[in-house]
Amino acid sequence: MFISDIRKEFYEVVANQRVALLVSSDIDALCACKILQALFHCDQVQYTLVPVTGWQDLGTAFLEHKEQFRYFVLINCGANVDLLEMLQPDDDSIFFICDTHRPVDVVNVYNDTQIKLLIKQDDDLGVPSYDDIFRDEEDEGHDSGNESDGGSEPSGKRRRFDEGAVERRIERQRERREWEARRREILFDYEQYEYHGTSAAMMFFELAWVLTKDTKDMLWWAIIGLTDQWVHDKITHMKYVTDIATMQRHVSRHNHRNEDEENSLSIDCMRISFEYDLRLTLYQHWTLYESICNSCYTSCSFKLWTLNGQKKLQEFLADMGLPLKQVRQKFNSMDMTIKENLRDVIEEASNKYGMKDIRIQTFGVHFGFKNRFLASDMVHATAALLESTEKDESDSDNFIKALDSLSRSNLDRLHSGIELAKKKLIAIQQTVASCICTNLILSQGPFLYCYLMEGTPDVKLFSKPMALTLLCKYLLKAFVHSTRNKRCKLLPLIMAAPKDVEKGTVIVVGITPESETSDKKNFFGRAFEKASESTSSRTLHDNFDTSIIELKTEDRSKFLDALITLLS
Amino acid sequence: CNEAKSEGRAELIPSIKLRHCCLLRNQRCVTAYLYDRLLRIRALRWEYGSVLPPNIRFHMCAEELQWFGQYKKSLASFMRSLGGEEGLDITQDMKPPKSLYIEVRCLKDHGEFEIDDGTVILLKKNSQHFLPRWKCEQLIRQGVLEHVVS
Repeated sequence: MFISDIRKEFYEVVANQRVALLVSSDIDALCACKILQALFHCDQVQYTLVPVTGWQDLGTAFLEHKEQFRYFVLINCGANVDLLEMLQPDDDSIFFICDTHRPVDVVNVYNDTQIKLLIKQDDDLGVPSYDDIFRDEEDEGHDSGNESDGGSEPSGKRRRFDEGAVERRIERQRERREWEARRREILFDYEQYEYHGTSAAMMFFELAWVLTKDTKDMLWWAIIGLTDQWVHDKITHMKYVTDIATMQRHVSRHNHRNEDEENSLSIDCMRISFEYDLRLTLYQHWTLYESICNSCYTSCSFKLWTLNGQKKLQEFLADMGLPLKQVRQKFNSMDMTIKENLRDVIEEASNKYGMKDIRIQTFGVHFGFKNRFLASDMVHATAALLESTEKDESDSDNFIKALDSLSRSNLDRLHSGIELAKKKLIAIQQTVASCICTNLILSQGPFLYCYLMEGTPDVKLFSKPMALTLLCKYLLKAFVHSTRNKRCKLLPLIMAAPKDVEKGTVIVVGITPESETSDKKNFFGRAFEKASESTSSRTLHDNFDTSIIELKTEDRSKFLDALITLLS
Repeated sequence: CNEAKSEGRAELIPSIKLRHCCLLRNQRCVTAYLYDRLLRIRALRWEYGSVLPPNIRFHMCAEELQWFGQYKKSLASFMRSLGGEEGLDITQDMKPPKSLYIEVRCLKDHGEFEIDDGTVILLKKNSQHFLPRWKCEQLIRQGVLEHVVS
C-alpha cells in the first residue's frame, strides 16, 4: 500500500526499532541511503546496511537477516516484482520500499499489511483499480471453485437440474472469462513498459524536511540523486526540469537562512547554488578541450570521429577567440579573463553550430577555497567508483568506496573517482568512434544491434550495467547524428558486451530510441523475458532494471532471432 | 682481579676490567629488553582484555604469563574498589566518547554477534551497522570492525 504520511507511517514506526537497509547499487540509492543514515544517526535508530546488486543478492541478504530484523527498508529495489512471493517472509516482517522502478507490481500496491510503498500516489503511476484485477469470491454462489483452478464442476455439491440454474451458471462462467480476458489485457498494458519515477533521494529528503532535520548535506545528496537520474537518462527532460524547480525552492530556503550582511559564513561552510551551466562533463576538473571532445553532446554535434568534425571543432574554438594553448590547459590554470565569461561565450558560439541546449539547469557546491563541484561531476565520479573494474575488489567493496566518496570529508576518494570517470569517458568516446567508423551497428529490422568483441580495448569497463548503458546512449546519439537513413533514426538500440569470460556470458542492454520528446518507457524488459522463454536460452534476469540481462554467449544468435520475430 | 694483583700479573687487569664491563653491559641490555617486554605485556591487558589470544600466549614464557595473571588480578581488584559496589571498568572508553551509538563497518566476516538486548547481528564483510559504542569497542580493537567517521 502507499504511505500517505511518511513521518507517521514510516519514520515513527521504525524510530524505536532496529532496521535492515537493503540498498541497490546505483547513485540515487546511495544518496538516499546517506540521507536516511544521517536521519538515523540523529535519532539513534540502530540499523544494519547491506548493499545488494541484484535479485539473488536481495534474496540472500533477506534470508541472512530475517531472523534478526522485523523491519526492512529497500532502496531502489523491490517495487517491480511480487516481493512477498519472491522472498516468502514471515507474517510479521514489514517492508518499506522506496523505489524508482515502475511499474509497481499490483500485489505490492494492494497488499495492506506487509508492504508499505514510500512512493507518492500521484507519481505518474496509472495503477489499475482493484476491481479490475482482483475479484472477491462471495458472489460466486455454490458453483465454481476458486479462481486459480477455474473449475466449474461443483464437487460433492448437490447438482440442480432445473433450466434456470444451468443458464445462470453458463452466464456466470462467460462473465468470468470476459473479466479474465480484460484483466490480462489491463495487466499487459500496465506492465509492458518499464520506466522510472521520482528519485529516492528526493523522497528521503522530503522526509527530512517534514521532520525539519534537513541539512545542506542532505540537500546536496538529494540533488545528486536527481542528477543521477538525468545523467543516466532515466527520466524525461520535463520531469527533470520540474524536479529541479522543487530542489531550487529548497536551495533558496537554505541559502536565505544563513547569509546576510552582518554574519557571512566561513569559507569552509558548504554553499549550494543554482547554476545554468555548460553540458561539458567534468570541465572544471579537466582541460576544456578534453571536456569538449569527450562530452556526448558536443562530440555528437560536431561528429568528432570524422576529420570534418575535428576541423569544425578548431573553427569553433577559433570563433570564440580561445587560444589552443589555453584550452588545452587544466581548467583551474586557465586565464581568469577567459574563465569569466566562458559560459556566455560558449553559448553564443554553440548557437551558431546548431547546439541549442549547451547549457542545462543544475546545481553546484562550493566549500573551502579549492573545492567546487557540479552535481554531474559528483555523479560521474561516484558512478566510476561504484563500477570500478580493479582486480580483487568485490561489488560491496566498490559500494563502500562510492558511499564514502559522497561525504565531504573524503575528498581524496572523490578526486580518485573523478580520475576514473575521466578514463571511463575517454574509453566511451573511443569505443563510440570505432563503432561508428567500422559500422558495427547493424539494423536488425525492429531495432539496432551492436556487439562489442572481446578484444576491444577497455571492454572490461563495459561489463558493468551503468557503464554499458551510458555507452549505449552515447552510441545511439552518435549513430543518429551520423546516419542518413531516416527510419534508422527512430529505432531503439540493443547492445551486448562480454561480461564474464570464464563463465562465457555477455551482458545485454536495451535502450529506448533517441528523440527529443521521448517518454523513456522501455519495453525491452518484457521482450527479453519472452524471447528467452521461447528459445529456452540461458539467461539471468538478475538486475533490478529488467532491460539489462546476462546471457550465455552461445545463445546469442537464437535469442536475437527470437527478439526480431517478437518485435516485428 | 684481586687475584691477578696478588699474583703479580698486573698486565691482565685491563682485560679483566674490559670483560667485566662487557658482561655488565650485556646484563643491562637483557634487563632492558625484559623490562620492555613486561611493559608491552601490561599494555596487552588494556588492548585485548583479560583473555589473550593464543598466538600471543605462544610467544610468552611461563614467568611472563604468571606476571600477566598477577597484573590482571591487581587491576581487577583496583577496579572493584572504585565506583561503589559494582566497581568501574576503566578499560572501556579509553578516549572520551562523543556519542552513544557509532557507525561501524565490518572488515571481515565475523559471523553472529549478540548485543545487550539479546538481538543478534550478522557481521558480514562490507556491511555497515549503527550500534552502541561499548559493544563495538572490543571488535574495533580486534580489527573486525572499523569506525566510520563521516
